[in-house]
Amino acid sequence: MTPEVAEVAKFVALQAPFSQLPEAATHYFVSHLEIVYLNKDNQSQWLKSTEPNLYLVRSGQYDLVNAKEEVITQIAEGDYFGFPSLLTGDAIQNRIEVSTPGLIYILNQTSFDYLRREYKAFEQHFVRAHANRLLSSHYQQKSDNWSEKKISELLTRKAITLGPDASIRDAAVKMSEHGVSSIMVTEQESLIGVLTDRDLRNRVLAKDVDPNMAINQVMTAKPKFIFENNRVFSALHLMLKHNIHHLPVLDENYTPLGMLTSTDLLRQQKSDPVQLIGRIYKATSVQQLRLYAQEIPALLKSFSHNIDDISVMGKLLSGLTDALTSRLIRIYQQEHGTAPCAFSFICFGSQAREEQTLHSDQDNGLLLPNNLTEAQRAYFKGMGEFVCEQLVECGIKRCPGNIMASNPECCGTLNEWSERFFKWIKSPTPQAMLNCKIFFDLRFIDGSNELYSDLCVSLERISKNELFFAAMATDINANSVPIGLFQQFKLEKSESKHKYLDLKKRGVVIINDIARLYALKAGVRRANTLERLDALTKFNLISAKDIYNLKDCWRYLTQLRLKTQLNKEGLPGNCIDPEMLTSLEKHQLKEAFYLIKQAQQACAFKFARGSL
Amino acid sequence: MQKLVQKAFRYLKAKGKSLDEVEFVVLDLELTGLDPKVHEIVSAAWVTMCSDRIQLKSAMHIINSDVKQLDQSPVYHGIDEQTLNEGVSLEALMTELCDALHDKVLVCHNAYLDWGFIRLNSKALGLEALPLAIVDTMQIEKRRQLKQNTELHQDSLTLANCRTRYQLPDYEVHNALTDALATAELLLVLINKIGAGKPLKLSALM
Repeated sequence: MTPEVAEVAKFVALQAPFSQLPEAATHYFVSHLEIVYLNKDNQSQWLKSTEPNLYLVRSGQYDLVNAKEEVITQIAEGDYFGFPSLLTGDAIQNRIEVSTPGLIYILNQTSFDYLRREYKAFEQHFVRAHANRLLSSHYQQKSDNWSEKKISELLTRKAITLGPDASIRDAAVKMSEHGVSSIMVTEQESLIGVLTDRDLRNRVLAKDVDPNMAINQVMTAKPKFIFENNRVFSALHLMLKHNIHHLPVLDENYTPLGMLTSTDLLRQQKSDPVQLIGRIYKATSVQQLRLYAQEIPALLKSFSHNIDDISVMGKLLSGLTDALTSRLIRIYQQEHGTAPCAFSFICFGSQAREEQTLHSDQDNGLLLPNNLTEAQRAYFKGMGEFVCEQLVECGIKRCPGNIMASNPECCGTLNEWSERFFKWIKSPTPQAMLNCKIFFDLRFIDGSNELYSDLCVSLERISKNELFFAAMATDINANSVPIGLFQQFKLEKSESKHKYLDLKKRGVVIINDIARLYALKAGVRRANTLERLDALTKFNLISAKDIYNLKDCWRYLTQLRLKTQLNKEGLPGNCIDPEMLTSLEKHQLKEAFYLIKQAQQACAFKFARGSL
Repeated sequence: MQKLVQKAFRYLKAKGKSLDEVEFVVLDLELTGLDPKVHEIVSAAWVTMCSDRIQLKSAMHIINSDVKQLDQSPVYHGIDEQTLNEGVSLEALMTELCDALHDKVLVCHNAYLDWGFIRLNSKALGLEALPLAIVDTMQIEKRRQLKQNTELHQDSLTLANCRTRYQLPDYEVHNALTDALATAELLLVLINKIGAGKPLKLSALM
């Protein structure tokens, strides 16, 4: 037996996974190591695909850099690297960059494989580490997609602003000085209007207005705006919807940061689905809308090949449905006269969460002001029926549960809607819980935003009920992840005797439920699961690490769902046969389920006091 | 006379070899004292190193069960009478060591001391210790420090202090094998510092 170097053994025994393994594993590891001094001069000779190794850092500090020259992670004492290619056999893409030189322990593939075979915990440790690395690198890839970029990334120059009393001539001079086509009008740092080239043409020159007049006479007051943290997709949607070419960008304190123009977006835009949304917003007849809607499936299919992040697919589809809905409302008003009073067209469930798929059905409703006359009610009944019927014509199926604006129950006043929610919250029967899960994911589509805000305020007030939260938490825990004892998958059987795992029901839905519960508790007015989780970082309800894990799991499961939707063989939708997965994917999937289970339990502990 | 010429020739040939061609045996001896004529070897431990890689698979640690007089030395190396019984005869120890050193480059921290014990003990047993060359990490470090005009103190050149200077980890356990590894790691750093990325000849270390 090779004698063991005490200092090396002492160090290794303290590192995971050896701290949980028998002494013999540490001894094997130590006596099969090679030690090298990793420094700037030799950094390029490690991590070679021809010689995959496991590397353990004894001292020094290093960066792991990927093929795109992005730092994936920083590595220091006790960290491993090089294991992904040992597990997968794939070529190594990353390289190591030395910050501080130091000693590295190296284990070759043969010895690594031996330990992997002999010790389950050893294998699990590295598979788990690899899964985490994959999840986080997937997370980084997301930013490659143009429509997922933050607006702040597109802003190239500072806001050009003037006070409301400046003359029209001053504005023209300033615009030409800076070579811009628009200017923001501000009063005490806050945005009050926008003046564009087109305004100078249409409202000044064409009308022969005196250029010495103040700009607040000709500007567009209370303009639409967007926050720097919103996604480019949202800006695009807003500009297409309102047919505007200049969109002021504000920070969280409503301070103007700059102007986003349609040209900025055109430079980013490479995809057809977005142009389709633009065409839909300009459609003038139902026939045109139907024609455009027919293009959706084919377009999405071609688009899905160029996309890394499935959450963009859901957003695009929901954006398309929103556009169709808005346009149908406009067409209805053209045929039946302008709405007699304020209204809000809202959506629920997957459309609200922006998680729509091609198979999603309608979940929508109409919110109306209190004290409605019978004639007004009849007008909106007609609107609900028209919109829902035409959406069916456009390929969006009827809701089997009849959650549609055409259903009188889903076409109610502010008080009627509040009353419905209150009933479910007061007596949390299973059916009431089911309703809550659908209706508490709600989003405004068209009409009066104020009316919608009133409903949100009302819902926030009535949902502040500890018993209700406890019931929701208990309900979430009634659904379990499909992992049994000894870390085995628990499979379900279809009628055709196929065994499968339901990724949606047993995974994605649980994460959605957890995000909804915390969002309700915190008063976060968002419906999208990832946005809810992002918003929750500002509250002390759930730790940043748990939020990060839930987001990663959500993305991973949704991605896997998309992948299986593309190549399925007689399984129910959203389901996979785990036998079709590689051993690595199986481990990653188990890891994701494991993290979901932890979050579920934390939820029960927080809201139901563990009383399950 | 012929032997001396042979030795000189060997020495010159060794100096011209590139580091990738040679195998290092990095050694540490535990002793009962500092005088090879009076004191004894308690144990010998070594690791081998080639192409800038230390191979722990090659680690050896042999205890001499023939030690007659331990005196106060267990205070330093921790080997007591009982541990000695687990060892082998001095002859077996020296045979193994001479085999390991044959045609390899011997590396020690303060080689003068260790080599004195090896030469005397092998001669007494009729064995031949014939390393290709001897490298002393302490002497290399001394030259480097003097070149940088650093003022050297009495303990500036101890193994632990040399390691600290290059941010190598602190080792608390002291036995022949840990010290052999500690010396090998120091050698890795020194080779890198001297070569700065360029391939070296053995002469650069001698």
